[in-house]
Amino acid sequence: MLPENLKKELQDRIAAVDHPRELVVDVLFALQAHYGFVTDEAVEEAAGLLGMTPMEVDEVATFYTFVYRRPVGKYVIHVCDSVICWLEGGRSLQEYLSQKLSIAPGETTADGLFTLLPVCCIGYCDRAPAMLINKKVYGPLTPETIDQLLDELREAH
Amino acid sequence: MIKLIIDNLRVEVPPGTRVIDAAEQAGIMIPRFCYHPALGAVGACRVCAVQVLEGSCRGIRMSCMIEAEEGMVISTTDEEAVAFRRQVIEWLMANHPHDCPVCDEGGQCLLQDMTVSGGHGRRRLPVKKRTHIDQHLGPLVVHEMNRCIQCYRCVRFYREYAGYTDLGVMGSAGRVYFGRRSDGVLESPFAGNLIDVCPTGVFTDRPSRFKGRYWDFERTPSVCIHCSLGCRVTVNTRYREVVRVEAAHDPQVNGWFICDRGRYGFPYASSPQRPRSARIDGRKSGVDEALDEAARRLSGIAQRHGSGSVALAASGRVCLETLGALTRFGSEKGWRGPFFRAGPRTAEALQSASKNLEEKISISLKDIEKSDFILLVGCDPVNEAPMLALSVRQARRRGAVVALADARSVQLPLDARRLALRPSQLTAALMRFAGKAVADGGAALSDRARGFLQACRDSRVDPAVDEQIDHLGLAARESRRPVVVCGTSAVAPDTPAAAANVARLLAAEGRKAGFFPVLPGANALALGLAGRTADHGAALREALEKGDVRALVVVETNLSELGFSADDPLLENLEALVVCDCLDSAAGRAARVFIPTQTVFEAGGTFVSAEARVREARPAFRGGTPVAQVSGGGHPPRTFSPDIPGADPLPAWQVLAALAREGTRVSADTLRKALPAPLCGAAPGKRLALPASAPDAFQPPEDPATAADGGLEVVVCEHIFGSEPLSRRAACLQELESAPRLGLHPGDAAALQLSAGQRVAVDCGRGVIEGEIEIVNEMARGVLLVPRLRGIDWHAAADGPLVVAVADIRSVKPNGES
Amino acid sequence: MTAQVLFKNRHPDRIATLAEYRHSGGYEALAKVLADSSRQQVQQVLTDAVLLGRGGAAFPAGVKLSTVAADAPYPRYVVCNADEMEPGTFKDRVLIHADPHQLLEGICLAGFAVDAHEGIIFIRPEYEGAARILEREIALAEKEGLLGQNILGSGFDFDIIVHRSGGRYICGEVTAQLNAIMGRRPNPQQPPPYPTEKGLWDRPTVLQNVETLCCMPHIVRNGADWFKGLARTESGAGTKIFGISGRVRRPGCFELPMGVRLSEIIENHAGGMAEGSRFKACLPGGASTGFLPAEHYDIPMDFESLKQAGNRLGTGAIMVFDHRTCLVGVTLNLMEFFARESCGWCTPCREGLPVIRELLREIEEGRGKPEYVGVLKEMGRHLWNAYCAFAPGAAAPLESLLAHFADEVQEHIERKACPFG
Repeated sequence: MLPENLKKELQDRIAAVDHPRELVVDVLFALQAHYGFVTDEAVEEAAGLLGMTPMEVDEVATFYTFVYRRPVGKYVIHVCDSVICWLEGGRSLQEYLSQKLSIAPGETTADGLFTLLPVCCIGYCDRAPAMLINKKVYGPLTPETIDQLLDELREAH
Repeated sequence: MIKLIIDNLRVEVPPGTRVIDAAEQAGIMIPRFCYHPALGAVGACRVCAVQVLEGSCRGIRMSCMIEAEEGMVISTTDEEAVAFRRQVIEWLMANHPHDCPVCDEGGQCLLQDMTVSGGHGRRRLPVKKRTHIDQHLGPLVVHEMNRCIQCYRCVRFYREYAGYTDLGVMGSAGRVYFGRRSDGVLESPFAGNLIDVCPTGVFTDRPSRFKGRYWDFERTPSVCIHCSLGCRVTVNTRYREVVRVEAAHDPQVNGWFICDRGRYGFPYASSPQRPRSARIDGRKSGVDEALDEAARRLSGIAQRHGSGSVALAASGRVCLETLGALTRFGSEKGWRGPFFRAGPRTAEALQSASKNLEEKISISLKDIEKSDFILLVGCDPVNEAPMLALSVRQARRRGAVVALADARSVQLPLDARRLALRPSQLTAALMRFAGKAVADGGAALSDRARGFLQACRDSRVDPAVDEQIDHLGLAARESRRPVVVCGTSAVAPDTPAAAANVARLLAAEGRKAGFFPVLPGANALALGLAGRTADHGAALREALEKGDVRALVVVETNLSELGFSADDPLLENLEALVVCDCLDSAAGRAARVFIPTQTVFEAGGTFVSAEARVREARPAFRGGTPVAQVSGGGHPPRTFSPDIPGADPLPAWQVLAALAREGTRVSADTLRKALPAPLCGAAPGKRLALPASAPDAFQPPEDPATAADGGLEVVVCEHIFGSEPLSRRAACLQELESAPRLGLHPGDAAALQLSAGQRVAVDCGRGVIEGEIEIVNEMARGVLLVPRLRGIDWHAAADGPLVVAVADIRSVKPNGES
Repeated sequence: MTAQVLFKNRHPDRIATLAEYRHSGGYEALAKVLADSSRQQVQQVLTDAVLLGRGGAAFPAGVKLSTVAADAPYPRYVVCNADEMEPGTFKDRVLIHADPHQLLEGICLAGFAVDAHEGIIFIRPEYEGAARILEREIALAEKEGLLGQNILGSGFDFDIIVHRSGGRYICGEVTAQLNAIMGRRPNPQQPPPYPTEKGLWDRPTVLQNVETLCCMPHIVRNGADWFKGLARTESGAGTKIFGISGRVRRPGCFELPMGVRLSEIIENHAGGMAEGSRFKACLPGGASTGFLPAEHYDIPMDFESLKQAGNRLGTGAIMVFDHRTCLVGVTLNLMEFFARESCGWCTPCREGLPVIRELLREIEEGRGKPEYVGVLKEMGRHLWNAYCAFAPGAAAPLESLLAHFADEVQEHIERKACPFG
């Protein structure tokens, strides 16, 4: 169930625009922030708020890279695997992350902290190899910077 | 006309024709997967590529995405075009399974055809095939996503064309998935069309799965008899059994599609319960002997009590030939009837709908798609005439205004304006609407039309709704092609005539206005045109009570349609009850003489649809018990006999001829000619020659405003699954039936202190209807909805709408005590 | 140092403030047109300046604005395409972080030129930082009367909102982007109707790239001739933001005259080739341009010159590969990208790209068969018949690999291994 204040906030935003469905991604992001990922229930709630059918919302939700329709960890690591990062050793960094976290790409660590998702070019080719953690960019990366970063995030938790 | 050249052939097409269609006209079938004439061009599959040699867009182009131009030169055999099309097939086959032998689509698969004809036979790609998890989509349609070639036809049909929302496309890139959000029964009653539109085997027919290949079937053009629209279908039979029914294309009526009732309603024909032998006083007999015995008894009764003591009963599912036999032999013998419909109200409604259908205002389903204003009065398209709902939706998609005036909470796959009105208010509401829809004083109108317009302007319904009706009338002023669609079961007896008059009035103003009746039964229009209003179930009941009728011949009719329940004591008074039917029924079991008749699949027959189109069903097979039932399902069958087992049933018209002692060798043609005009001139494929104008045109109803103060008008509601007598026997459709509940408006329920789930008994005078209450928000106040479903004894209200007093409704405990 | 126009206020460590932007002449163009120009005049100066779309398609921006008919219905929309997802491209992010008001003024000018009153910045989710900057600066501009109701007392209203994408490359395609904004699946939609006639919610909509919009205030303020004069070549106009990455010493974004030579960008601005590297090839304008072999090392970088060389300037994102880079591997990586990011609408893109990727993988991993080269050539050619420009974009690197580096492909097959290890 959506908390009243979040529901109200979304309803107000929706009421302020001419075409509610243009907010579908924003609403999905908001529900994702609340639930951790876009649950089946969240799709239905989004549909209700936006005056769309759940199917219409899901057709959009399942399309996008940054809308998670399955559970993810607290920190979602998007490692860039496109050409410049690849050229700069991105693949070995991804393997390093996999090994360090003991998860394969697409998986979440047992403690629910990290999810590793390879992603296409994130637009930080000048900082290759790069990655995003919860939409914040890090790069150029080395095994050392990765170690440090993961430790910091674990500690912050 | 536009002239162009395709593969060195000169082709002439109207402006706006797509090149793919222009080629088809010239006999060149360009391959296609995503293109479908009803669903439009989207350019997704890319397999219809051609080379444009001359024209505004030279080069390789998709023939579905470009329109024919004057002087255009197209090559479909161009080397590059052929190479590209072959490439598309190779790409699609990269992921499509190679298991045609175990796929039910095999033999009827567009992808298979294209792969073979395109010459792609050797795999040169070292790639793994992508796989998906399938969904369970209910009893009608099987889902196998691995076979998908992503043509998007399914979602385009399901969502855009039909307007249902539970099937969609999810994911992106090579992962796109067509299905529901989770497993579950498809909500659309048109879901079976997915099977026809899917070019591969993603959606296949569940009930007929693995029962044969396309080439195993005898395919016969036929007509659907599960409602009054007369959709064209193709019947597939094998081993003395109908295996599958598919939509057949009819540009004027059903287009490319049919509803699930029409597709899956046929199993009654091969039911193991189907009576296949004649019976005399409960004992099996040969059919000749039974015919002889029945004829002997009938003539004995006629001799003793006069010929009028023998009565005939019929229903909207008899074909034109049987109706001809009923008319001819009935009048020759002096028998009463045929009786049809439950009572005076429903009989008059049918009569007024049928006799008001005249040439100028008669329209087709296709015309409805092109109309710009549709008023639906007392009709529930999805449940009573399903394909009508899709036609209305196409009009709505093109911007038409759609309005509903109904007592029920009618659900449509589109947004419509609603007027919740009791049946008794509909006639006045229609007239008030017309009064507003006609802008000027009607100077150009005839005296009679002007008189009707005046009556319209004087019409009042209820101050609470008059304003809404006026709004609607004003909204209709600008329409150029308004249509009034009117049903016969949830209306006042004079509503259909008023609906026709409103259409006439709008047509008299110079608009292209239409009237479309929705009738009870495949041949109801013919019954309405041929029958007498006075011969209805209530009159039959009276005659039975008085002892005027001693023998009853029931022809392909459920007595419930005449308002009799299965165990009606009046039937016991009969000296002879002769039942001729292809269905197993209580009346059939109680009959003194029972004669089995053939179904439409064996006998064929001619039917007149609600839009007066004459449709012919050809015999699909010779009859007999299905091979699977004779040999215990083994293959090949190992039971041998010189004749076909279970082949005793005869066409009903032959049975009637034998009962009249005319012999069974009567010709179907002669029987049709015995019918009154215009039915006698019925020619299959044509429309009936309708009268130029009905005799009672512009006759205002006598007293349009009849209020039912203090009581509830009882409306019997048809359901798409479970109401129609033939299809309700299909097991796969029974799974989809709604729970039977009595519907009440929340306000009425509160006033009666009834709540949802509570059980009540309603005394309808002739019987008591018992059931659970359901609160229905969008329905009219002052109405009780009774579903025509198993589990509810709705017969007592069959001549609805009738009025029951509040005192007649009482709460009961589940075991029936008060 | 060459003339810095768009990067005039760029600081290495911070965002230019509104005051800095105004001090450098910012919002003067807007004030000027609001005071005394017609929308046709704005369209004309942009057309005269030969401002070509910087998002990759190089369509003349002024002409696009003028296709919104004077009597077209309202509301009208301006969409700023900040969905920079072309691999190798990051110039729009740098532009927003450098001087956000330059973009806001550009959007507002485009709005004035078509009499629109709403601007939408469509931005990829990876640029959340940039999205927040824009929202903050929009609010600031509104407070200063530079956006919103009655701008600078002129009576002209214009609002800008930031629309966050859910993240997919196809959303960068014009019609797909409009579908995305409308909350539909972002499948492209072939015109007609054109977006300038029926775009968002069936209303006239003009879509422009961030860099294109950023050029507009400067052109309006300084004139078409000034802008054309910024270019190094006769065929080019203005400056261009080149994002350079790969095997160079100093990857980054540089504003240089249109038509500057590739060699000059690499040697003078990107610090030369990386240690021990020799130039082998580059992708001159993002993933959907072809490999530019070493023979074109001195090519003037403008739209026309690259067209002459059978290539495209694209987004001006230069990805440099050295003699140790396996171009089969690069192409395989690019195909992986394209196959993953296809919207799934048409067969060549959805089915063709994964097949091409697998064939390249076979070759790269030493399982390639000689006949694969022919198959790849055929398939590359057929990609051009896809529904939108996505698959033809993927065809560019593939076809150029097969054309210019056939020996390298052959070597993979013959050795049954990648020669680069």
